[in-house]
Amino acid sequence: MRKLLRFMFLAYSLLLTGYFAQAQDRTITGHVTSADNLPVAGATVTVKGTQRSTTTDANGNFKISAKKGDVLQFTYVGMQAKEATVGNGSSIALELSSGENALGEVVVTALGIRKEQKALGYSVTQLNAQELMKNKNTNIVNSLAGKVPGVNVTQFSGAPGAGASITIRGATSTSETRQNQPLFVVDGIIYDNSTTVTGNTGTDGLSRSNTTYSNRVMDINPEDIETLSVLKGAAAAALYGARAADGVIVITTKKGAEGRVTVNVTSKVSTSWADKLPEAQTVFGPGSISSNGVVNTDSYNSWGPKIPSDSTIYNNIGNFFRHGLIYDNNVNVSGGSKNGSFYLSGSNFKQTGIVPGTGYDKTTFRFNGEQKYGRLTLNATTAYSVATTDRTLTSAGLYGSGVGSMQELYNWPQTYDIRNYINPNGTQHRIYSATITDLANDVDNPFWIINQDKLTSKTNRFTGGINGNFKITDWWDVTGRLGYDQYTTNDNTFIAPGSAVIAKYQNGRLSKDQVNYTYITTTVMTNFHKRISDFDTHLLLGTTSDDFNTNVQNLWGWNFSTPGTVSLNSIDLANKQFSDNTIRRRLVGVYGEVGVSYKDLIYLTATGRNDWSSTLPVANQSYFYPSVSGSFVFTQLLPKNNILSFGKLRGSWARVGKDANAYATNTYENPPVTILAGNGSYVGIGNQWQAGNATLIPEIQTSWEVGGEFRFLNGRIGVDYTYYHSQTANQIGSPRLAQSGGFIFSTLNAGTVINKGMEVALTGKIVSQKNFGWDATLNFSYNRGSLGAFIPGVQYFYPTDVQFGTIKAASIPNGGPFLGIIGQPFLREVDSKGIEISNGRYQIDPKTGFYKLNTNLPVVGNREPRYIGGFNNTFRYKNLSVNFLLDVRIGGDVFNGTEYFMVVNGLSKKTLLNDRQSVTLTGVSSVTGADTSVTYNAGQNYTIGTTTYAGTSMIYQYWQNYASNSSNFITKVNWLKLRSVSLAYDFTSMFKKQGVIKGLSATATGTNLLTWTNYKGMDPEVSVAGGTGGSGSTGIDYLGVPAVASFTFGVNLKF
Amino acid sequence: MKRSKYITLVCLLVLGLTSCKKWLDVNTDPDNPNNQSVPIANKLSWIQNYWKEPAGVTNMRTSCISGVIYAIAASQNTLSTTWQATNANSTTPYQAFFVGVSSNITDLYNSAQKQGAYHYMAAANVFHALGYMEMLDLYGEMPYTEAGTGIPSPKPDDGKTIFNGCMARLNEAISLFGKTQEAGVPSLSAGDILNNGDVNKWLKLCWGLKARYMLKLSKKAEFNADSVLYCLSKGPQSNADNTVEQNFNNSAATDFLEGDPISANGNYDFAGYGSNQRIAEYYYNLLTNIRGAGVGDPRMPKIVPASMANIQLNASTGKVASFTWLRSIGVNSYNATDKNPAPAGFPNRLVKGGATSIATVTVTSTPTSVVYPFTTSTAIADHPNFVASLLAAGKVPKNGSNMNDFADSGNYVRVTYKPGSVYIASTNYIQAGDTVYVNLRSNSLATTTVAQASNDVTWYPNLAAYNAGVVASTGSFQIRPVSDMEILMYHEMCFIKAEVYMRKGDAANAYTAYRAGIQAHLDYMQTKLTQWKGSFDKTSSGIANPDMNPMDQTAINTYLASNAVAQGAGTLTMSDIMLQKYIAMGVTIENWNDMRRFNFSAGNVGSFGVVYPGYQRGPLFTGQAQLTGSSPTDPRYWIRRWALPPTYEIQYNFINTTSLNPHATDPNIWSMPIWWDCATDAEYYGYLKP
Repeated sequence: MRKLLRFMFLAYSLLLTGYFAQAQDRTITGHVTSADNLPVAGATVTVKGTQRSTTTDANGNFKISAKKGDVLQFTYVGMQAKEATVGNGSSIALELSSGENALGEVVVTALGIRKEQKALGYSVTQLNAQELMKNKNTNIVNSLAGKVPGVNVTQFSGAPGAGASITIRGATSTSETRQNQPLFVVDGIIYDNSTTVTGNTGTDGLSRSNTTYSNRVMDINPEDIETLSVLKGAAAAALYGARAADGVIVITTKKGAEGRVTVNVTSKVSTSWADKLPEAQTVFGPGSISSNGVVNTDSYNSWGPKIPSDSTIYNNIGNFFRHGLIYDNNVNVSGGSKNGSFYLSGSNFKQTGIVPGTGYDKTTFRFNGEQKYGRLTLNATTAYSVATTDRTLTSAGLYGSGVGSMQELYNWPQTYDIRNYINPNGTQHRIYSATITDLANDVDNPFWIINQDKLTSKTNRFTGGINGNFKITDWWDVTGRLGYDQYTTNDNTFIAPGSAVIAKYQNGRLSKDQVNYTYITTTVMTNFHKRISDFDTHLLLGTTSDDFNTNVQNLWGWNFSTPGTVSLNSIDLANKQFSDNTIRRRLVGVYGEVGVSYKDLIYLTATGRNDWSSTLPVANQSYFYPSVSGSFVFTQLLPKNNILSFGKLRGSWARVGKDANAYATNTYENPPVTILAGNGSYVGIGNQWQAGNATLIPEIQTSWEVGGEFRFLNGRIGVDYTYYHSQTANQIGSPRLAQSGGFIFSTLNAGTVINKGMEVALTGKIVSQKNFGWDATLNFSYNRGSLGAFIPGVQYFYPTDVQFGTIKAASIPNGGPFLGIIGQPFLREVDSKGIEISNGRYQIDPKTGFYKLNTNLPVVGNREPRYIGGFNNTFRYKNLSVNFLLDVRIGGDVFNGTEYFMVVNGLSKKTLLNDRQSVTLTGVSSVTGADTSVTYNAGQNYTIGTTTYAGTSMIYQYWQNYASNSSNFITKVNWLKLRSVSLAYDFTSMFKKQGVIKGLSATATGTNLLTWTNYKGMDPEVSVAGGTGGSGSTGIDYLGVPAVASFTFGVNLKF
Repeated sequence: MKRSKYITLVCLLVLGLTSCKKWLDVNTDPDNPNNQSVPIANKLSWIQNYWKEPAGVTNMRTSCISGVIYAIAASQNTLSTTWQATNANSTTPYQAFFVGVSSNITDLYNSAQKQGAYHYMAAANVFHALGYMEMLDLYGEMPYTEAGTGIPSPKPDDGKTIFNGCMARLNEAISLFGKTQEAGVPSLSAGDILNNGDVNKWLKLCWGLKARYMLKLSKKAEFNADSVLYCLSKGPQSNADNTVEQNFNNSAATDFLEGDPISANGNYDFAGYGSNQRIAEYYYNLLTNIRGAGVGDPRMPKIVPASMANIQLNASTGKVASFTWLRSIGVNSYNATDKNPAPAGFPNRLVKGGATSIATVTVTSTPTSVVYPFTTSTAIADHPNFVASLLAAGKVPKNGSNMNDFADSGNYVRVTYKPGSVYIASTNYIQAGDTVYVNLRSNSLATTTVAQASNDVTWYPNLAAYNAGVVASTGSFQIRPVSDMEILMYHEMCFIKAEVYMRKGDAANAYTAYRAGIQAHLDYMQTKLTQWKGSFDKTSSGIANPDMNPMDQTAINTYLASNAVAQGAGTLTMSDIMLQKYIAMGVTIENWNDMRRFNFSAGNVGSFGVVYPGYQRGPLFTGQAQLTGSSPTDPRYWIRRWALPPTYEIQYNFINTTSLNPHATDPNIWSMPIWWDCATDAEYYGYLKP
């Protein structure tokens, strides 16, 4: 296949060479500086209309051959591009000015191709190193929050090493096994960003919810990043193929520049603390109430009698958390000569979490080098990282409240000191050991878990790429790339002997998971670039192959023979098991792009790609998708003016195909079970709970966007506007469906996800003077995700079947919200037609004595924010700069599951109403419709139906009834967050007289210091199960590790 | 030249595409077989072995309804005690059958059909019938024709369709078992755990199942007693024809869906796995005082568990030196009148403490004092009874400075439990006497906390108890890990025959069958108990578990000759037949099925009178929202079906489910009769109307 393509390119190029002749050139030299009169090293100088280019050296000097009348283009990432026409002279001096979204800025687009922003028919946002480092986060994904319109970042939890999920312009896939996160491409190589959750509650004993799992992009050292481009729409990303439907984030790492070797050292120390903790009532002690009023005080619920005034009350939740610490050290060395450059870096990031015993430690190394041999340029990038995470307690997670979640912390009776977790003889101190005789029926004290159990994760990752670029002529080049990404994750879970697990495991168990990910990619592409009078044309043809291989092995065993020897070797063979799973996925793509522009007025680009994916049935393996985009710089037609200095309209239409997950075409079997029966030995093999599908077709996303960019007052104010619409049809998924189908999940094509929205970015250089400057960026976006048609007969699409209290995450077919919430609100009074009156009074059911629930699963909320935005400000006064980033969200429902949980167990302060002596229900009878008001007093008995209940039981039941009304815990959340504020001082000017130190600066940064919100729970920025695909569990706040705020101090030294 | 260029191009294209295709051919999981490649013998073994999960959980939970088992666990307690049935009960049987079994049946049938393996097709049909009929018994309506095939959101079928479909499968199975398999296909014995490939036994199983299923139609005009008798004539003729799944305690491996031991009995997995289940008083009364005869059933000590009591440990070895067996009593939750002795000095234990309040015992290895406060007004009133019960139990009160067994200060009573005592570690005096409710628990390799030997399945609460040899439960005949999973038994055939003859008015034949049924069950038990003796009756103290040894022949003879068993056709009633069947069926769904056919204790079916006397709504009844009938003769007074699993079925299949039965999500769906429980189709379809 690829051979053939190469042959075709060759043929095409030979054909072209015949038509165009070479021109005569002379050498032009020059000097490029920035606004502060410093040389700009590494700026690209191109002879317009050709591929002839060079870069400036460390002193900002360059040499290039050009002829009179040629236009030289000067571009440098993050700075405004400029042009200069070659006149009679042989030297050119030029000043480049910096600024985000500057007019004519060059951005990195698909396949690493740099293009002028004005040429693009779609929206791309690029962030440079400086911007990313303003509020550095070891997870680069978190650094994007609030900075890019249309991008939604959700931090999984406040646990160290916890990942974050990122979605661009809304999620496009409904199913929990499908990714909705953008593709990450680092230096041209697809960089795996999965959040691999190994093991399970069945084999590992602790809920390994992915709220404490890293997303693998965290393996990148953020300091190594030169630029980060967010390609939002399908048109921008179409050339990347299958996974580009969710957008692409293109990262380019740093390179060395020609000149003296530079050493850069950065050190940071940071402290973090729990932002906000749930509050527990301290009036009533442990107990549960039965219907006749009998109280059982041996209970983890807090519905018992009043706590006597002389009792000690423990602040269990407060006593649990501590301050976290981060030490972050980076060093990099770079340099280069005329024909080669290098960049070498090392970093260590060491964090201890707010939950004792948790931590994250990441060490990274990177070497990037480049060498030129005449027309051939070779560069290599390599990175190695080792990341370890110590985790213990997790959020309850989308998959329920497994053992080891934060649940018990938010449940522990306040009269017992949760810190008292171990007996002198080393066994677990159990507060109800008398009545909960069976250890297996008890729960683990959270302190037992953090001190006795051990959960660790270690990832060693190597990524590398070799790029070769050969300039055949100045208008034609060929690029070849070989990329490799490999990591091994080792997860260990040790459940200590004496834990509250089923009998078999009470003597301890150990589970070891190893994930081996290997990815090899090859790319060959060729570029033709030709200017024919006023028309600038280019053609790109390429082919790529991707080979993904993941192997997951699990070893586990239980019952250690020798106490203290925690090893699989210390386990009898009969108590050991292992499993082995290999996932292979391969893809071949052939793509092309053709573009033409007229003067600097109109730009048109069309792309096409055909993929062959191994994951689809053979008959459906091949699929093609095209895109077209265009941009019209209408200000070219207007007379030059200072009011509207630049104006551009753009539009694009694209289609992207998305393949299936590996092995989705077959139904697979469970591991064999040996059954020793009376007649002998048999081996049983049965189906797994997922059904395959041999007739899958690719998922197809069709999208379009229109927008414009406008610069006013010589570019001091800029507006960028985009409206987009995308529709992802033939959704491949393996949704949970009725189990009568014989499976829990069935793979199929069904449903359409529609996203539409708008993005606005305003940039302003409000003050721009020598000693004082104020730059501000305001961005603002919304997305409306909805589910189109779905499987006939299926009312809602649920990403999972686990509920939190009475609510469920669901997507609502036929135009309903993608991020819907299904629940059971109280029924309200009905009008004469039997229709519920909105905001009418609640119905009281005389059969139960309480408010009546609507059991018909109505939609009770939409978790998608109405608007999100960011306001980023930088003030500069001489050497001091202050930056603050405000993050805004308006609307979007959040379910406060933690409060729900604490109402149910009686720890919520809400339940102190009337000192638990009485409750009153008012509304209408669900039978007669008559006005009804009932009061239940603690001292009385009540007969409902034929049963008599004690008043205390009725009050208890009132609160259970209150808890079952999902609407009581749903808030339409608005927030304004001071995401970060940082202060930096540059001491460089103090070192002018000597030659060693080139720069010194210090920074102080606070993150999440202030949040103004109407949300009453811990933190509205929540996702209980992290990066779960589909509509996931964003907006569901359920027993999580609290979010953290932090303060960081750092110094940066350059010499 | 030009042409050759094109030819080269085309050649390259073809070559490229072929190698590309090959390179892309990696979409078959190298580590796991798929449902097309699995040998049929392995599929059959899987189905047979996994069937015990849905059957076991169904047996346990329906036995909570029928009065065999009392359960503490909140959701099963609603079936056994409050009748405020919760959807939480509906989930496991449904998932275990549909996800664990149903798609495998479809695959087995199709794979076997391709190969001409007729006996495997037939076996698939039998499990189809067993499975879907049980689902019908529980849920009334659910997907059937579109079920088990991976079709998303299959449409549900009504009860009549499902019933007829299952019968047709049995008929097909009978004809397929009669065929010779194509050459080269695996013989049935290769995968047949149940009957080791014995086709004749399979045929008897088919006919026996047909009889069982036809009997369900007894309320209907089309019920044909002679057809049932014909089926019976071709079904099992003796205990040798029983189809059981033998179970073993030989593996700690657990299954993929429910995490239960792969080798153990399904009833054990749900009723004997934890400490939550006890014998209910309804069953207990039948085993101790059937027909008011006051004669103990010889089966009683094998079914009702015992624990050690009055234990003296040997001072030097720490082992049990002397003890008595404390036979459990039943937990009363069905009847306002507790016929049991009053533990801790007060009757109606559940009413006193709450529906789920019965506490589980522990064993102490050191002298342990528990101080019971009697400070509330209720407790003060109970105080004299409590002290009296201590005295009655032979406990010696404090005498001067001699602390003895207990001390009474009026407001507080301190009881000292000696080392080795089985006691309740709670200071709540109400629970102090709960040692009389021995739980049905057994230990298996997969659940033991003390690493006991595989031939010891008794329950020790902790290591100290194990080391001392203090047995806290001897277990129950049908609920041990090593108990048989009873698929179809000869004694059931006898009782069906007895019922059918009774319906025909032929009391003489009914009587013969009735006696044969009792005898068959006694024989079956005796055979099993004899097998266990010396092999599975071990305990850590070396004292054999007496409940796993044969019944006393004298007791059997006495019982059979007593008024506990009808002594002639003249005195035989339908109730006698059904109650003896109830005892023999024990922990199976068939008791609840039979009770529905006779409207429980309403007494309004035919002229048979009250067939299940004493079975009533209990004093802790809170199920008025679920069971909306106002009197026992109202069909909707009783638990007549289960709600479909709210998540696993209704949530994902809401539109289809409610379009067939708009009441599927109503709280009182629990009292809606299913198709075979209705006298006419009109009655049934009337219920399904909006």
